[in-house]
Amino acid sequence: MKWLRELTRRLSMVVHRRQFDADLEEEMRLHLELRKQERIESGVTAEDARAAARRRFGNPTVLREKSHTAWGWEWLEELVQDVNYGAWAMLRSPGITLVALLSLALGIGANTAIFSLMDTVMLKSLPVKDPARLVLFGNGLDQGISDGFPNPWLYSYHFYREMQKKNQVFSDVAAAFSMTDRAHGSVEGRNDAEPMNIQLVSGTYFPMLGVEAMIGRALTDEDDRTKGGHPVAVVSHAWWARSLARDPSVLGKKLTIGSTVFTIVGVAPPEFFGTRVGEAADIWIPLSMQKEIPPGWDGYSDNMFESLHLMARMKPGVSMAEANSNANLLFQQILRGFSGAPLTEENLRKLDKTRVELNSMATGFSRLRWEFSEPLKIMMTVVGLVLLIACANIANLLLARSTARARELAVRQALGARRSRLIRQLLTESLVLAFAGGALGIAFASGASHLLVRMVSDGRDALQLNVPIDMRLLLFTLGVTLATAALFGTIPAFRATRLNLTDSLKDGRSQPSASAKGPLAKTLVISQVALSLVLLVAAGLFVRSLMNLTNVDTGFNKENVIRLRVDASSAGYKEDVRLTGIYRQIEERASSLPGVRAASFSIFTFNEGTWNNGIWVQGYLSGHRETSVHHNAVGTGYFAAMGIPLLAGRTFGPQDTATSQQVAVIGETMARTLFPSGSPIGRHYGRGGPQNAGDIEVIGVVEDVKYNSLEEDPQPGDYLPYTQNVRYLNDFEVRHTGDSAVVVAAIRQAIHDVDRTLPISDVMTLHEQVARSTTNQRLVAQLSTFFGLLAVFLSCIGIYGLMSYVVTRRTNEIGIRMALGAERSQVLWLVMRESLWLVALGIAIGVPVALAGNRLVKSMLFGLQASDPVSLLAGVAVLLVVAGLAGYLPARRASLVDPMVSLRYE
Amino acid sequence: MHRDEIPPGTLYLLILKTLARSGEMHGYEIANSIQRISDDVLQVEEGSLYPALQRMLIKGWVTAKWGTTAGNRRARYYELTAAGRKQLALEMSQFERVIGAITRVIEAV
Repeated sequence: MKWLRELTRRLSMVVHRRQFDADLEEEMRLHLELRKQERIESGVTAEDARAAARRRFGNPTVLREKSHTAWGWEWLEELVQDVNYGAWAMLRSPGITLVALLSLALGIGANTAIFSLMDTVMLKSLPVKDPARLVLFGNGLDQGISDGFPNPWLYSYHFYREMQKKNQVFSDVAAAFSMTDRAHGSVEGRNDAEPMNIQLVSGTYFPMLGVEAMIGRALTDEDDRTKGGHPVAVVSHAWWARSLARDPSVLGKKLTIGSTVFTIVGVAPPEFFGTRVGEAADIWIPLSMQKEIPPGWDGYSDNMFESLHLMARMKPGVSMAEANSNANLLFQQILRGFSGAPLTEENLRKLDKTRVELNSMATGFSRLRWEFSEPLKIMMTVVGLVLLIACANIANLLLARSTARARELAVRQALGARRSRLIRQLLTESLVLAFAGGALGIAFASGASHLLVRMVSDGRDALQLNVPIDMRLLLFTLGVTLATAALFGTIPAFRATRLNLTDSLKDGRSQPSASAKGPLAKTLVISQVALSLVLLVAAGLFVRSLMNLTNVDTGFNKENVIRLRVDASSAGYKEDVRLTGIYRQIEERASSLPGVRAASFSIFTFNEGTWNNGIWVQGYLSGHRETSVHHNAVGTGYFAAMGIPLLAGRTFGPQDTATSQQVAVIGETMARTLFPSGSPIGRHYGRGGPQNAGDIEVIGVVEDVKYNSLEEDPQPGDYLPYTQNVRYLNDFEVRHTGDSAVVVAAIRQAIHDVDRTLPISDVMTLHEQVARSTTNQRLVAQLSTFFGLLAVFLSCIGIYGLMSYVVTRRTNEIGIRMALGAERSQVLWLVMRESLWLVALGIAIGVPVALAGNRLVKSMLFGLQASDPVSLLAGVAVLLVVAGLAGYLPARRASLVDPMVSLRYE
Repeated sequence: MHRDEIPPGTLYLLILKTLARSGEMHGYEIANSIQRISDDVLQVEEGSLYPALQRMLIKGWVTAKWGTTAGNRRARYYELTAAGRKQLALEMSQFERVIGAITRVIEAV
C-alpha cells in the first residue's frame, strides 16, 4: 500500500500545482533573505550579502526545475504544452485544418457507419441461445404461398409436423410463416385499429430458439395443438414500449384482430426481433390461429399450402452433413407420403432431383441481406478508398507543415532542445489533429448510420434495424488515421532534426529538404488522383445505370396515380359478394370525385409480389400444355387508372359479372407466346388443370407491364375481373388531375363513406412505388457520387496544397525569372505544367485501375458495360477541370509575384 | 576556509538525522544546523536541500506544515514521520557498514 499512498501524494501535487509553486517560491525566498540578513549582521554591505547568499544557494531556476522533476510529472506538463501548441498550430491555419478535420471525420465516420450497417444486416448473430447450431431449410429468400411440388424452400404445416416427429438429428424443429402479416388490430380500450406486423409461428419457435419471455411466457407447443383454439399472443418489446407505453400490467390485455380477441401472454426480450433481419415482428401468434388472422390463410391442415420457413436446432454432436442427409431422406419420404400429393410421373421425376439445402441460421436470414450485400460491399470499398485519400491528405498536410517549420526546429535544437523532445512534440501535434478528426468522425458515424437506415428503408415499411456503432471498426479506422498522422507527422521531424543546423539557420527557404519532400508528397498526390478517378468512374457508372432504369418503359403510366391500401379483411369482410360489392361502391364513388379520372382495386400494382399459376391453353401446339403466368385480379377501371394501353379487343365492363362467361385481358407477351397464330381474342385457356382449358375467354390484349423490377424481361401475364375472382384486393389506384393532397383527402372520405371501419394505409404515388424498387441502385448511385466528388475534392486540396507549397518555395526563383524578363503567362505555365503532370500521371494510372476494378460491379449495372466510355470520359474530364483549377490558383499567385518584393523577401 | 563537498547519497541521511535530533525545522535551519555541527566542514549547496526535501515528501519520510519563525516570518517546517525514522535507521546502518568497511581497508597494514 506504500506505493498507493505515494501515488496519492504525487497526484495531489498535480492538483495543487499553483500552491506547490507558491510554497516552494516562498520557502526559497525566505532562505535567501535569512542568509542575506546573517551576512549583513556580520558586517558586509547589502549588495555583497545578497551575492554571497545567492552563491551559497545555487541556481534557483535549476533547483525549482529539479523540485518539479522530483514529482515525476514533467512528461504530463510537456504533453499539455504540446497539445496546447498543436491546437494553436491548427487554429493558425483554419482552412487547412478544417479540410483535414472534415476529411478525417467523413473518412472515419462513413467507414464506421457503413460497416456497422453491414455488420447488422450480414454478420451479426441472432440474439438467441447458441445460434451456431441453428439451421434453415432452404435459403429463406422465397416468401409467400405456393402449391408447387416439390418445393424445397417453402413448407406446409403438415410437413413441419412430420419432420419434427421423424427426424433423428434435430433437438427441435420450428416453423414461421414466410411473410409478416400486416393486419390491423385494436388494443383493448381503444377504438382505432392500428397496423401491426404479425408473425405466425409454430409453438416450438420460441423454445427451439431458446428465447424466453421478458414478462410472462413465450409461446409453447401447447399453443399450437388445435386449429383456432389458442387466441394468445406474445408481443415484441418494441411494440410494448411503443403501443402500450411499457404498461406493466400488459399480461392478460386483450387484442382484437379481425373478429378474434387475443390475450397477450408475454413480452419478448428487447434484443429479440425475430429471425428475419430487417423485418421485426410486433406480435407473434401461433400458426394454429392463422385462419383467425386477416386475411384468413387456411394452411393449418392443407398439405399443399406451402408457406412456412422451416428452421431447426441440431442435436449436440450432429454435423451439418449428417443433418443434411437426414433432412433430405425425410423430405423424400414425407412428400411421397402426403395424402393428396400430386404424384404424377413428371412430379416424381422432379422430386427425385430435388434436394433440400440446409443453411446455417446463425445470423438469421433475410431478403435484405441478399439485396444489399452487394451494394454494401461496394460502398465499403468506396469509403475505404476515401479514407485512404483522406489519409494521404493528412500526410501531405503534415509533411508540408513540419517541413515549413524546419527552421524553427533547427533553432530550437541549436538552443539545446533534445531531439527526442522535438519529435515527441511534432508527434503530439499530429495526434491532436487525428484525434480531433476521430472525435468528429464518431459524431458523424452515429448520424450517418441513422441516415443510411433511412435510405435503405426507402423501399418498404421503415426497416426495423437497430444499428449500433461498431466499435471494432471505429477503433480500426481511428488506428489507421492515427498511424498515418504519427508516421507522416514525424518523418519530417526526423528529417528536420537530422539537418545540418547551420544550413537551415542560414536560410529558411531554399534548403535541401525542399527537394527531399518532393517525391513523397508527389507520390501521395498522384495516388490520390488515381484513386479519385476510380471512384468517379464508378459513380458515373452507377448514375448512368440508374438513369437507364428510370427510363425503362414500365408499360403503365406512373405519373398522376395515387395508390393506397385498403384492408377489408381486417374490417371483418369475407371473400364473398359483399366484398366485391364494397369494392364496386368505392370505385364508383371515387370515380365521380372531381379531379379523378379513373379508380380501381387490384391485388398488385408494381413490386408487391405476384400471383403465379399454371394455365392450360386450348389448342396450344398439339394438345394442352401448362405454362406459368402472372395473374392480377382487377376492377373495370384498372387499365384507365394505370394507363395501360389496350392493343386489341376490349377491357372489362359491367357485362362481366360473376355469372357471365369468364373472361381475361392478357398481356402482349402472353398473347405472342401462347397464341402465336392469329388473334388471341375469343380464344380460351384455364387454370387448375387441362380439364379447365376452355374456361376463360380472352377478350383483350394490353401492353406488357413490369411486375417486380424494372430490370426484368417481359413476362407473360393476364388480368381477371375481380367479379369473377373474388378475393381481397388490397391495392386501390386512382388516376387524378391536379393536387394529389386534395384528391387523397377526398378518396379517404369516399372510402369511409362506404364503410367507416375500413383501415387505409400506405398512401403513396405510383411514381414513388416504382422509385422504391430502385432504392438499392439509387442508394449506390447517390453514395458513390457523394464519395466520388469528396475524393476529387480531397485530391484537389492535395494538389492545391502541394503547389502552393512549391510556389512559396520558389517565390525567389520566380522573382529572378521575372526580373530577367519572363512573361507572367510563362510563369503561370511553369507552375501549371507541374500540377498538370501530376494529374496526368494520376489519370494514366487511374484509367486501367478503374477499368479493372469496375468490372467487379458489373452485376450492379443495368443497360451498360463496366467499360462504359461515357462514364470513363466524364470522370477524366471532371478530374481534369477540377484538378486544373486547383493547380491554377497557386500558379496564378506565382504569376502575380512582384519581382522586387520577392527578391527583397530573402 | 576549505569546505568539503558532502559524499554523494548522504544528503538524505544528514537531513533525516538533523530532523531527528531537533524536531521541526525549516530549510534554512536545516542547512545551518548541518554546517554548524560539522564545524563548517560539510558544505551543502544550500538550494539542493529543497529538491531533496521534495523527494522526501513524496516518499513520506517527512511532512511539512507552515508556521512562524522567531523573527515572525512564515516558514515551512519539516518534521520526521515514522517512515522517516525507519529510513534513518536504515540509512545509518548502511552508512556505518560502508564506513566501517572503508576504515578497515585503509587501516589494514
